[in-house]
Amino acid sequence: MYWLPYPDSISISGYRTLILTIMAIILIITEPVPLPATALLIAVLEVSFHIAPPSEVAQSYMNDSVFFIMGSLMMAVAIVHQGLDTRLALGIIKFTGNKVSNIVFGFSLISAVLASFIGEHTVVALMLPVGLSLVRNSKGHRDITNLTALILFSIAYGSTVGSVGTPSGGARNAILIEYLKNLPEPIYLSYLEWILMAYPMVFIGMFTTSIMLKMAFKPEYIHLDTAIRKLKIQVAHRGKITGKELLSIIIFGIVFMGWILLNEELGMGIIALAGAFLYMATGLVEWKDISKNTNWGVILLFSAAISLGIQMKNTGAAQWIGNSIIGYSGDAISNLTFLPYFINILLTTTLSNIMSSSGTVAVIGPITLNMGGDPLFMGMTTAISSAFGYFSAVAAPACMIIYSSGLVKVRDFLRAGWRMVIISILILLLFQAFYWPFIVKFFNIQ
Amino acid sequence: MNFLITIKDTSQQSKNILQIGTKIANAFSANLSIIHIGKKSKAMIEGDINLARITMGEWNILHPGIEVLNWAYDALKELNTIEIDSDTELKPENYVNHTKRITLSIPQSSGQNVELILREGEMIEETSKDIDEFKYDLAILGCPKRKRHIHQVVQFFNASVLIVKNFNKDWTYKIQLCVDDSRATKRAVVFGTKIANHYKKEVKLLTVSKTNLFKSGYRNAHRWAQKYLKRSQIDCESLLISGNPVEIISTEASDNHIIIMGKAKKNEFFKYIWGSKPIHVAQKANAPVLLIN
Repeated sequence: MYWLPYPDSISISGYRTLILTIMAIILIITEPVPLPATALLIAVLEVSFHIAPPSEVAQSYMNDSVFFIMGSLMMAVAIVHQGLDTRLALGIIKFTGNKVSNIVFGFSLISAVLASFIGEHTVVALMLPVGLSLVRNSKGHRDITNLTALILFSIAYGSTVGSVGTPSGGARNAILIEYLKNLPEPIYLSYLEWILMAYPMVFIGMFTTSIMLKMAFKPEYIHLDTAIRKLKIQVAHRGKITGKELLSIIIFGIVFMGWILLNEELGMGIIALAGAFLYMATGLVEWKDISKNTNWGVILLFSAAISLGIQMKNTGAAQWIGNSIIGYSGDAISNLTFLPYFINILLTTTLSNIMSSSGTVAVIGPITLNMGGDPLFMGMTTAISSAFGYFSAVAAPACMIIYSSGLVKVRDFLRAGWRMVIISILILLLFQAFYWPFIVKFFNIQ
Repeated sequence: MNFLITIKDTSQQSKNILQIGTKIANAFSANLSIIHIGKKSKAMIEGDINLARITMGEWNILHPGIEVLNWAYDALKELNTIEIDSDTELKPENYVNHTKRITLSIPQSSGQNVELILREGEMIEETSKDIDEFKYDLAILGCPKRKRHIHQVVQFFNASVLIVKNFNKDWTYKIQLCVDDSRATKRAVVFGTKIANHYKKEVKLLTVSKTNLFKSGYRNAHRWAQKYLKRSQIDCESLLISGNPVEIISTEASDNHIIIMGKAKKNEFFKYIWGSKPIHVAQKANAPVLLIN
């Protein structure tokens, strides 16, 4: 491909960036070499293909969204080490009672609300043992495959639905904000403005998730009296909230307030790093735990994906693909205003179902921002639809974590996922057409 | 000797593999390792999964895959083909977490060691790694569905291999010893004789030549096997047949023999491209196939 003739409408460095992007996507999906090795290869080839000079490549590997990913992964380790899972279990027992439909809604709601602030992987790590304990306690002589799927999916899909609610809900949101800032006509979207635009989707999502799941998996029991009683006994010894747990919540509260109030001055990444520092400085978590449980390879890979996205923008490759898509669509794109958003959703959802949500946004974010339509809406659509990885176990961390429990099958993702994808796409298109224009006008977001 | 049994899940097929594996291990008083290969998560999400496992550990929720090993332990007790200290309790904390594997040693009354092992990744690749690292003499596993996988198992497992096909619960198998001029043929005869002796099985001694003219290597090997069986006081039905070896070995074995033969001496590259007689027999036969390294 490197030596093949290329269209006149794209620069040579743009063409080479496209080759590198295709190569990177294939390597990330198939994993023939370790992912961190792919990240290193991207840097090497960006320089070797003369896409950018070494210093520019180095700079593109480290920016605020990479800091954010690093800080939030480190905070996740700190939060998980505080034993807040038993507090959540107590909360669920009090909140839901013993009726299965209430429990499912309770899991979806708590997972969604928490995931919108602290990231879905942290929430699933905290909620999964609670869900699994409930499943274990429910096991009698009857097969409880559907009940198991119902509880585990309510955690996973609840977290995924919630992760779009705020910029700190997922790395993809932070990456997209960074891309919006770097547009020729920059868009500065604050933490609160994101919440205003996206959070109503979380509220709707909580309800639709529990309804869709109940349609997909008919539970074997209506009430879980014994299971809830056993769970109560399991967590009863915890007593009142400890000083450490309180401190942990306070630190997260400070970080959260920092994201709302100081985001524009300090950036989300620096605030997340400050949070990680506070957790270590107060002795709530040790460096060796953070070092052991933080996936440094993935941080490197995200850096590489973001760097690739920046080069796609700088070399005009993203613009070229965007124009090509508009060109192929002909008059349809100007006659049907929702079409660019629909194409964007299909492209993002498909790629995030086979790659990963954050990786997808990092690679195709610059393309979708150039595909016509309002750049802010296109960006939000990309970030939100990248969370629609309901079909496959590999798309979202939440899905992969419940899949790794061995209690749900790949076909269960299809069984529940198609309903979730259709309803989510419909809601997103309605938001883009009616709600966002209203909010942007009302709050003068630009 | 150290034998390794690979189990895929908690199905009846896995139980059958355990039964045949423990029976053969008994004949050799071999140490027994039972391995289950769990699914490995994608590297991109590995850190997140590890995070979830921290909290799951605190709730005493077993590492996924351990329940298969626990099931195997219960199945061993139920089958009663191997003596196991019935007081041993399988608690999550008894499992030892090594870098690439989780293990549990269980005491066994007769003195043989029994170990349960969990690894994560691709079944063939991980089993092969465990064989290389811990030098097992025999690997026992169910028949892979794809012919390509059977090929990989036979060629790349650095141990003797027993592929369990068409399992007979009542253990009414006869033994079909296939001898030729391959370097492992004598070891195959010794191995087969030991099993035949231990379980008082009938033996069919078979040599197949592609042509009507039997090479001296074939004739010598057949004669040696006959003498060895006689010395071991085992009566055998002796057959020298010309024709397609793979067809004849498979047809003669039908579904009521355990086929025992040596692995091929062919060059590894040619074996990879064209396969070998043992590989094709393992793919075609409708009976358990034991290939000696």
